[in-house]
Amino acid sequence: MNYSPITENDKEEMLKRIGVRSINDLIMDLKPSLNEKLDLSKPMSELELVEHLRNISQKNKIMKYFIGAGAYYHYIPSAVNHLLMRGEFLTGYTPYQAEMNQGTLHTMYEFQSFICLLTGMDIANASLYEGSSALAEAVLLSSSYNGRNCIFIKEGLNPQYLEVLKTYCEGADLKIVNEIDDNTACVIAQNPDFYGNIENLQYVAEQAHKAGALFITCVVEPTSLAILEPPGNYGADIAVGEGQSFGIPVNFGGPYLGFMAVKSFLLKKIPGRICGMTTDSKGNKGFVLTFQAREQHIRRERATSNITTNVALMAIASTIYLALMGRKGLTNVAKLSYSRAHLLQNKLKSIGFEALNKKPFYNEFYMKAPSGSLENISSNLLKNGIHGGLDLDEDKILICCTELNTVQDIESYVSIVRETK
Amino acid sequence: MDENIRFTKEHEWIVLKEEGIAIIGISDFAQGQLGDIVSIELPKVGSIFKPMQSMAIIDSVKASSDIYCVMSGEIVEVNEELLEHPEWINQSPYELGWIVKLKPSNMEEFHNLMTNEQYNKFIGETEENREKDQSGG
Amino acid sequence: MKLIFEYDEETTEHVPDVDDNKERERGGKEEEEEEAKEDITIELPKNLMRKKLPLPNVSEINVVRHYTNISRMNFGVDLGFYPLGSCTMKYNPKINEDMASLDGFKNLHPLSHESCIQGSLQLMWEFEQDLKKITGMDAFSLQPAAGAQGELLGVMIAKAYFKQKNEKRKKIIIPDSAHGTNAATAAMCKFETITIPSDSRGNMDIYKFKEVLEDDVALVMLTNPNTLGLFEENILEISDLAHTNGTLMYCDGANMNALFGITRPSDQGFDMIHLNLHKSFSTPHGGGGPGAGVVGVKSFLVEYLPLPRIIKEQDSKFVLDYTKQKSVGKVKYSYGNFGMLVRAYCYIKSCGTNIRKVSEHAILNANYLLNLLKDDYELPYTRRCTHEFVLSSRKFGEKSALNIAKRLLDYGFHPPTIYFPLIVREALMIEPTETESKETLDRFAAALKNIANEIKENPDIVKGAPYTKLVGRLDEVAAARKPNLRWTSLSQSDGKENSEKKLHVEKSVRNSSND
Repeated sequence: MNYSPITENDKEEMLKRIGVRSINDLIMDLKPSLNEKLDLSKPMSELELVEHLRNISQKNKIMKYFIGAGAYYHYIPSAVNHLLMRGEFLTGYTPYQAEMNQGTLHTMYEFQSFICLLTGMDIANASLYEGSSALAEAVLLSSSYNGRNCIFIKEGLNPQYLEVLKTYCEGADLKIVNEIDDNTACVIAQNPDFYGNIENLQYVAEQAHKAGALFITCVVEPTSLAILEPPGNYGADIAVGEGQSFGIPVNFGGPYLGFMAVKSFLLKKIPGRICGMTTDSKGNKGFVLTFQAREQHIRRERATSNITTNVALMAIASTIYLALMGRKGLTNVAKLSYSRAHLLQNKLKSIGFEALNKKPFYNEFYMKAPSGSLENISSNLLKNGIHGGLDLDEDKILICCTELNTVQDIESYVSIVRETK
Repeated sequence: MDENIRFTKEHEWIVLKEEGIAIIGISDFAQGQLGDIVSIELPKVGSIFKPMQSMAIIDSVKASSDIYCVMSGEIVEVNEELLEHPEWINQSPYELGWIVKLKPSNMEEFHNLMTNEQYNKFIGETEENREKDQSGG
Repeated sequence: MKLIFEYDEETTEHVPDVDDNKERERGGKEEEEEEAKEDITIELPKNLMRKKLPLPNVSEINVVRHYTNISRMNFGVDLGFYPLGSCTMKYNPKINEDMASLDGFKNLHPLSHESCIQGSLQLMWEFEQDLKKITGMDAFSLQPAAGAQGELLGVMIAKAYFKQKNEKRKKIIIPDSAHGTNAATAAMCKFETITIPSDSRGNMDIYKFKEVLEDDVALVMLTNPNTLGLFEENILEISDLAHTNGTLMYCDGANMNALFGITRPSDQGFDMIHLNLHKSFSTPHGGGGPGAGVVGVKSFLVEYLPLPRIIKEQDSKFVLDYTKQKSVGKVKYSYGNFGMLVRAYCYIKSCGTNIRKVSEHAILNANYLLNLLKDDYELPYTRRCTHEFVLSSRKFGEKSALNIAKRLLDYGFHPPTIYFPLIVREALMIEPTETESKETLDRFAAALKNIANEIKENPDIVKGAPYTKLVGRLDEVAAARKPNLRWTSLSQSDGKENSEKKLHVEKSVRNSSND
């Protein structure tokens, strides 16, 4: 299947105009030349492609999911996709020519605003790749801001995020340390943390600031911001996180949506794209990409960040999601997620699971199954089409509930566990 | 224009004042090349620089440029007003748009710089060479 | 056009409405309706809870109208010609969107058990095999989310490789035509960049290259064809010299669209490559992302790739292998931008053995367009181009490229890339791609010829463009000097006194603030 409209006739005319006899004359300088066709499969028509892909997708098994740990199942209203799939949003490029791309820019401005309102911070950029690399960018920002090269991480950070941080730190010669002192560039805390614990982190902010370090909060489940105190109100200088919960499917790991918001004194340091409002010569309001000179491809050797782009389409998806849900809908999502999680935790407690959260939790919690039983429980749940949670070692399990986990699903879960014992 | 003004090949100017302090900025030609300046990153007072070491970064709308220190020395003052008014560098590159004040540690270096006349000649030649460079097979 | 925050309306229930005591107090009919709602009280300490959620409530019809109308203020490949050099704005097949949305792909959790993800693992494994065949590399990591992140991974691999060998190599060589991300990535990993000028034929100057190729050079980063749209004529000599010097060769694969089935980067001597799936592999640009920047390596570098690796076992089962000790680590959460991998996989499957036609037509279209325009504009490098070419409008004066770009908007075309590569004055970088018809190319050339005439006869009309868009030329200087980066309002106060803070640049020097 070919998407090129050029016919044999066209080709002849074009070659004549160029002044060559055949296409080979145009490509003969591309060396070393391949003498055989690439060993790819036969070209597929659209019909064959659909059959092929359907077959593959059906080898995956979709369950009822009680797992989060960085990717969350939430209900995505229909209108999100209908709007997102419009060619004007889907097939455009970065809005460097602002006059022709006011659509993308307008939604970027709204996205930036939504993130600021949710996180309580002053300025947000137009998105980063996803949560873990957004956190890495925040670390690079801190180091560039205060010239220090040590990082302190409060326990409870998502382990994959920690791995990504380690990779970036190794590349940029930064060290992860155990003390907060005057070598510390930044202090990082995830809230709610990997185990679901929520804290008011004012005291951590104070420790960081006393040492002259920046305080970074990482929010991996941002529907929590509908009901929880936002980072801007407990001393965060930078708030980063994962926006996938806002209207983006779990997609087997990506594409997702990183966000970063800062207090205004860090405006000049924030990486990535930023959209600003301005006017044309007639006074019409419009939007442009601004502060482009900060971006890494302009800074070149003087760059302090890795990101050249954003994830505009995912930012648009989340903006539309937040607009559709509104404060009422998002609050309902948060309340339902909270309530279902607490319901399941209570029921599991009553059949012998030990609750391990020492602090209040939102929609994720971890428990210890009766000794030696977790493997059987998990595989039994799996047999019944339920993914019960993330199995950690020593019979511990990290469980997540959202508005998609119905009360019946929870009852089934519990009864299957009860039967397994 | 001050007779004591000198220029570098990177288009910075420097003027020596009596008290052993030098003022540094960028030339009118440079600000024209950069276009509308939107922000500047200034060095910390007290920092020490060598000649041709980058000490500040100027951002215009689409580009970012290093500003190099002209002589060895210590920064004794920076023009904080430029943070609120970066456009002064465009509008008044030799007066309101001054960037830093430096205490030079080696006065010899001053004599290696270009005078106003030499600098104007230098700019003229640079432009001619740029025209020639744009060709090729 | 209102901002979404200016609405305050009744909303649709996308998820079940949860009981809200305030509503119950109103009494009457509403009390009956209240019965169906779940009663949820959040029992969290006050100091953990938010006082107010300052988001708007908008009815669904107004959300749909708002964003539908906003989308119509945009341009995309679906609307018209988008000849951005270096971006490969080819048609984004709709079937790829449908396949990426299949339930089995879209709703699969990345941490699912291995037995439940065999389909996705199969797709990723097969995709890797196809990429190996296309490029000649021995293995691919599908993890990086974008080209720049792919480059970062590549440079990190080089860093780890030389650390392992105990060789102190701190330099990376790039040509002066290189995209800014190459230099930035090098700097991010604490490498020093050496920039080599291009010669009069548009190649990286091989003599200057030889001069700096010492034993402290870790990597040479090249785009081939380069950003001038020209094939590096000395590529084999360059890679030989590099390898003899113990230096690695990295290919920025942004211009892969010129090479499918014609030549392979591995045969040119490259040890590593990143490919931008949102360029040559047709995944949509989405207004600026998401994309994917998969990285391919030769076998001696496989052990450094991010984990997990996907292995196909004897019985055709796919497993995730976490055992490679020397891996540089992860560059992002999970396996990669799987949604984009599906789309690119579909594209390769649909092209199949005919994939060479993609590049042949891309090169044909570019050369045809170049020939239509070379008498009206200046060609800084006159040898045959590949899939893109660079014109210069410098004979029309300073800022002419910008003015021409803005005037093209009035003709209904998206302008080409301007002012890049940096080594050409008043550069216009044009990449038509293979999915454009001859007729479109003729119309675009006619528009550019018209504009060239306009500049001669009525220059002001070009300087003042665009006239037919919703806004005229926007004041970018004001946008940067007086930043307005978000919506603010009195009612956004969250119990703290910062709601009315003006977001102009605050007076501050490095490392201090006036808060």
